[in-house]
Parts: sequence; structure tokens; C-alpha cells
Amino acid sequence: MAWVLLIALLPALAFAAMAPMSRAVRNRMQWLPLTAMSGSLVLSFAAFVEVWRAGLGEEPVWEAAVKLAELGGNPLEVGLRIDAITAVMLLVVTIVGLCVQVYSLGYMHKDERRGWYFAVLSLFSAAMLLLVLAGDFLLLYMSWEVMGLCSYLLIGFWHEEEGPRSASIKAFLTTRVGDVGFALGLAVMWATAGTFGFGAVARFNWGAGAGLAAASAVALLLLFGAMGKSAQVPLHVWLPDAMAGPTPASALIHAATMVAAGVYLVIRAMPIFIASSHENLHAVITIGVITAVVGGLLAVVQHDIKKLLAYSTISQLGFMFVALGAGSTGAALFHLVTHAFFKSLLFLGAGVIIHATHTQDIREMGGLRRALPWTTTTFTIGALALAGLPGLSGFFSKDEILVALVNIPDAYRYGLWEKWVLVGLMLFAAGLTAFYMTRLWIRVFGDNACSLARESHKKMLVPMAVLAAISVVIGWTQPAFLTFLGHEAAWPDPLMAGLSVAVFAIGVGGGWLVYGRQVVDTEVIKARFPYAYGMLANKLYFDLTYSELLVRPFHELAGWLSRFDQRRVDGVVNGAASWWDDFAGLLWAGDIRVIDGAVNGLGSLVKRAGARVREIEVGRVQVYQQLAYAGLLIVLLVVLLLPWLRVLLGLLVPMLRGA
Amino acid sequence: MVVGPVAFMALAALLFCIGLFGALSKKSAVLVLMCLELMTNAVNINLVALSRFLTPSSLAGQFAAAFIMVVAAAEIGLGLALVLALYKARRTVELDRLDRLKG
Repeated sequence: MAWVLLIALLPALAFAAMAPMSRAVRNRMQWLPLTAMSGSLVLSFAAFVEVWRAGLGEEPVWEAAVKLAELGGNPLEVGLRIDAITAVMLLVVTIVGLCVQVYSLGYMHKDERRGWYFAVLSLFSAAMLLLVLAGDFLLLYMSWEVMGLCSYLLIGFWHEEEGPRSASIKAFLTTRVGDVGFALGLAVMWATAGTFGFGAVARFNWGAGAGLAAASAVALLLLFGAMGKSAQVPLHVWLPDAMAGPTPASALIHAATMVAAGVYLVIRAMPIFIASSHENLHAVITIGVITAVVGGLLAVVQHDIKKLLAYSTISQLGFMFVALGAGSTGAALFHLVTHAFFKSLLFLGAGVIIHATHTQDIREMGGLRRALPWTTTTFTIGALALAGLPGLSGFFSKDEILVALVNIPDAYRYGLWEKWVLVGLMLFAAGLTAFYMTRLWIRVFGDNACSLARESHKKMLVPMAVLAAISVVIGWTQPAFLTFLGHEAAWPDPLMAGLSVAVFAIGVGGGWLVYGRQVVDTEVIKARFPYAYGMLANKLYFDLTYSELLVRPFHELAGWLSRFDQRRVDGVVNGAASWWDDFAGLLWAGDIRVIDGAVNGLGSLVKRAGARVREIEVGRVQVYQQLAYAGLLIVLLVVLLLPWLRVLLGLLVPMLRGA
Repeated sequence: MVVGPVAFMALAALLFCIGLFGALSKKSAVLVLMCLELMTNAVNINLVALSRFLTPSSLAGQFAAAFIMVVAAAEIGLGLALVLALYKARRTVELDRLDRLKG
């Protein structure tokens, strides 16, 4: 089955082919990533069929590894692994990826950098596919980082504007915080177990005492990495801001696939969690519950359609973490799959709505159900699936999570009371989901405001229809899905199903009463509970805390360092420079005064002497004659007087001596 | 009263000095030429007088004076011609203004 490598390779090759092209050529090459993605989809189906036939569950159907090096006697290998989880993830990524790419043909067709957009989307798909194909944590980490890069590039795709630019940096840095944990976890894993392979790590006997502590460290550090990528509280702050990117990219990356990679990582690392301590699973479940509730609460007060959906995504990822914390990888994966379909559907619908209304603020929308019949239908299906209408996919997967929570193994040591508090909180989060989706639906499609919005092109509607169809159908595969994973097949539990239907009804009914019938004015509620509303409107002060606690001190430190640089370091350099400058000035002055002075002085001396001598050269013959005679006279005087002088001296000298 | 050679030499010296002064100080080229004649004649007086008083038997001094007069006549002719040429060229014969030798 070595051909499965092609699944990841095809989009990677599409990117490699498009990267060096000029912008104009690249903009005409959108068919290339589409073709590659279609190829990957067909191959993924083939892989799925193979795995289905083998029926080995979570045992690998095929494995292969390449030895990169030998470190401390242990072979450092990277490899691929095909099992049921991989097969499911491959299908999800390729189906959603292809739908998003087809949709993007319509959504991005006017953008002047659409070629680059498609290339990065292709690279992202390749990384995500490699991530799910990977047979060890090292390769998983590598593709994880490539995805982070693509996410950064796509969030900041419209980097001409300030918003997307800072959002992309925020997303990159926040996930990087988690990635540091991931990398440290890998280091501890290598130091202790000496291997990265999923199977080898799962089989590794961590022993007791220090070994168990190491296992706990690995588990918690990997969990930290997963929290960053999957936007779990408190590392969730980047996801709502990440909505600054193109909407289809948000659908693929920040709703369906990349943010689910953290869940996938914990699924793969589950043996470590189980081997180490149930306390680690308590941590997972705590984070999951907090995230599910916080995400739901924050979604209720959002006005931006994309940010509302982003908080919803955070909340749903919290659901998946709760399932993981309850030890049920099947429920987590099933919710991951259904969520990938209906949430990407919702984002694609949001893209059409934003295209049609040119705003993201749901307060400015309304009455779109007449103008956008297709979008309304598909969006409603997605919203109902998310809210948990019985029969649609979200109902099944959410129910599965609740069942997993109720049937939490005794080994995890939850008291009855604790267990039902968790269930209650999850039901509350589920009710919130129904409530805020009802609010969203009424704000966008309800009311009778006349809208001039127009339906988008078929290229955008067809993928939405496909995703809507999958969202309807896929819930019913629940028993088959669990069997495929090698878990116990199950239909929804009647008690939990009843509870979640009741919660759904309360949520939708409450939303309809508040926003549809308007039995209570939301402004009155805001006015009555200003403190609570302020907390929610300010995103529970997470962003403020980070900016005050981390960003601002960092900026201040940077400013201080910059000033230190300018004053001290630059001072030394400038001081040395000015010293040299002075020295050079001295040399220059010496040069000018002494050396040039000597040369010029000689010159001017000659010149002045010349000027003096010139004065007698008046050019008149008579003057020359006068001079000649004067000279002659002097010579004559000397010649005539010389004997007399001798005589005079002869007389004078003895007189002076005698004296 | 006997006129001795000293008197002649004094006269010659006086004439020479007058001529020299004139040659060095006169503005006009013609006057300078005349002064040159005076100096030549002072020399002639010396030649004739010394020849008469020292070697009366030979007439070497007188002959030399006669030659000098001829040469002086030629010389003054040449000099006047030069003055005329000078006047033609520069429209002046004042030596003050002939200062093109000035560097």
C-alpha cells in the first residue's frame, strides 16, 4: 500500500509546481490543485475500502518506516501508518478540502493573488494528509508545523490590511506556545521510550515511579500542544481573530481540519494518557468542559458571523476534548468528523452571506431567506446539525459524547456527583449551541427586512449542497463507524437522547422567544446584568489579560532594549566613531597647516619675492640702464675704496685690541 | 695761462656726465640720441687731447676721433631711422611709454 503516500504527495506536488510560477500564470493554474485534490480523494476512497475490507480496527493495515539516523543506539524513523482512524481522517480531509477548493473557485475568482491562495491551500492539504498518514509523532509534528505555516499565510492572506496581518502573527505565536509543549513532549518521549512510532509508544512499558512521571510529562506536554492547535482555553484567543483570512480557508483550516489536529494528536497519544495516570485525563476533561462552556457563552454575544462560528468551533472542540477525557476516542473522532462537515458547511454559507451583503455584522443582516434560498436551505441544515436536531449528524455525535461521559470508566475515579456535574455542564453547552445558532439564524435569515442580496454562483452552491447532504446522512453511520474503529457499535442511548432533545428544544425555543418573538428585550437584559454582559463582550478578558500581562510588558521590554541599544550600544559605537572623527580632524588640520602650510608657504614666499623683484622690471630701457650704471658705480666704489678700507681696518683693529 | 690735459679731461668728463644724465633721464628718444652724441664727443675730446699731450709725434688719437665721428654719424642716422620706425609703429617717441619689456 505504498501508494497511499501519493495521497499527500499529489497536493504537495501541485504546490511545488505552482510556487515558482509568475503570478499571472499561477492565477490560471487553479485546475492543478483541484486535480491533485481529486486524485487524493479517489486514492483516499481506495485506501478506505482496503481498510474496510481488512477490518482490523485501530490496528495498522499497513506500516512503513524509513530510518533517518541512529541516535544513542535507537533508530530514528519516520513512517506512514494506515489504520481505521487514518482512513476516516483521509476521507474527511479530502472531501472537505475538495469542496472548499471548488467553492474557492467562485469565492476568490476576483482576487489578484488567487493562484497563490490555491497553492497554499494545496500545501495545507498535503500537510494535513501527511499528518493523518504519519505513523509516528515526529512526522506528525513536522506536518503539524507546515500546517501552522499555511494557517499563518492564509490568515494573513490580505496582508495589505492591518487586521489580517496582526491576526496571522497572533495565531502563529499562540499556536507556537502550544508547539513548544509539543516539542518538549517529543523530547521527553525520545529520552524515555526511545521511539516516536505510534505502535511502539503504545506498547512501551513505562514502568513505575520515574517512568510513570515521564509518561505523565509526555501526556501533558502533548496535551498542551493540542490545546494550542485546537484552540482550547486558555490558548483559544487566536481562533476568533483568525477569521480575518478568506472564508473558505477558515472553513477548511479553522473549522474542519487543522484545529481538529489537536484532537487527532490526543487520540494518537491516548495510550500514553491511559498508561500514565487518570489525573491526566481529568486535565483533558476539565479543559474540554471549560472550553465548551466558555466558547458557547462567548458565541452568544458575538455580532460578527464568522467570529460567532469561530467561538462555536472552540466550543465543539471542547466537546471533543471531553470525549477524549472520558477515554472515548471513538466519540471524539466521530464528533470531529460530523463537525468537520457541518461546520465547514456553515462557514461556506457564511462566505456566501458575506459576499451577498458585504458585511460580517449579523445586526446589519436580515430577511436573507428569500434572497438566498439555496444558501438558506444548506445553512439551516448545517445549523440544525450543529444545534443537535435529532436525525442530523450533530445529534448523534454529541449524544455519543454524553454517553461516553455517563459511562466513564470507574478507573478514572469520578464520583457520581462529579460525573453529573460534568454531564450537566455539557448539556448546558449543548443548549447554548442551540441558542446561539437560533439567534444567528433569526438575525441573518429572519425578519422581513427587504434584501437586495443575490445568490452566488453554482461553483459555490454545489459544494455546500454536497456538504449538507453528508451532514444529514453521516449521523446514521454511527454504529458502522464505531465498528469500523473496532469499538462497540451503539445507537444513541434513550435517556441521553431524550435529555439532549430536551436541551435542544429549550435552546431553540429560548432563542426563538428572545430573538424571534422578542418577549424580552435583549437591551433590557444587557442593562440589568451589565457586569455579566461586560465580561462576555470583553471575551472574559482573556485577550486583555494576555495583552496586559505578556504583550505590553514585551513591548515595553523591547522599547527599553531599543532605547538601551540607541543610548548605550549606539553611544559606544558613536563615541568611538566621533573619537576617530576628532582624530582624523586633527590629522587633517595637521595636514592642512603643517604640510600644506610648508608647501604653500614656500610657494607664497617665492611668489612674494617674485612680486618684489618684479617691481624693478618696469620694462623701460632707461631704468635698466640706470640700474646698470648704479651697479657699475657700486663696483667702482668697492674697487676704489677697498685699499682704503684695508688701511682703515689696519689702523682700527690694533687700536681695539690695545683697548 | 697754460691749458693742460687735466682741463680737457675735466671738460670731457663734464660732457660725458651731462650726456649720461640726459641718456638716462630724457623722455624723448631724439634727446636721448643727442645725449649719446654728447657722450661720444666727450670720448673724442679725451682721445684728441691725450694724443696731443702724450704722443705729439703720432696722430693716432686724431685719426681715431675722425673714425668715431664717421661711425657716430652712421649711428645717429640709424638711430633716427629707428626713432621714425618707432613713431610709425607706436605713435610716440616717449621712452616712458615704451614699456613692453615689462614682465
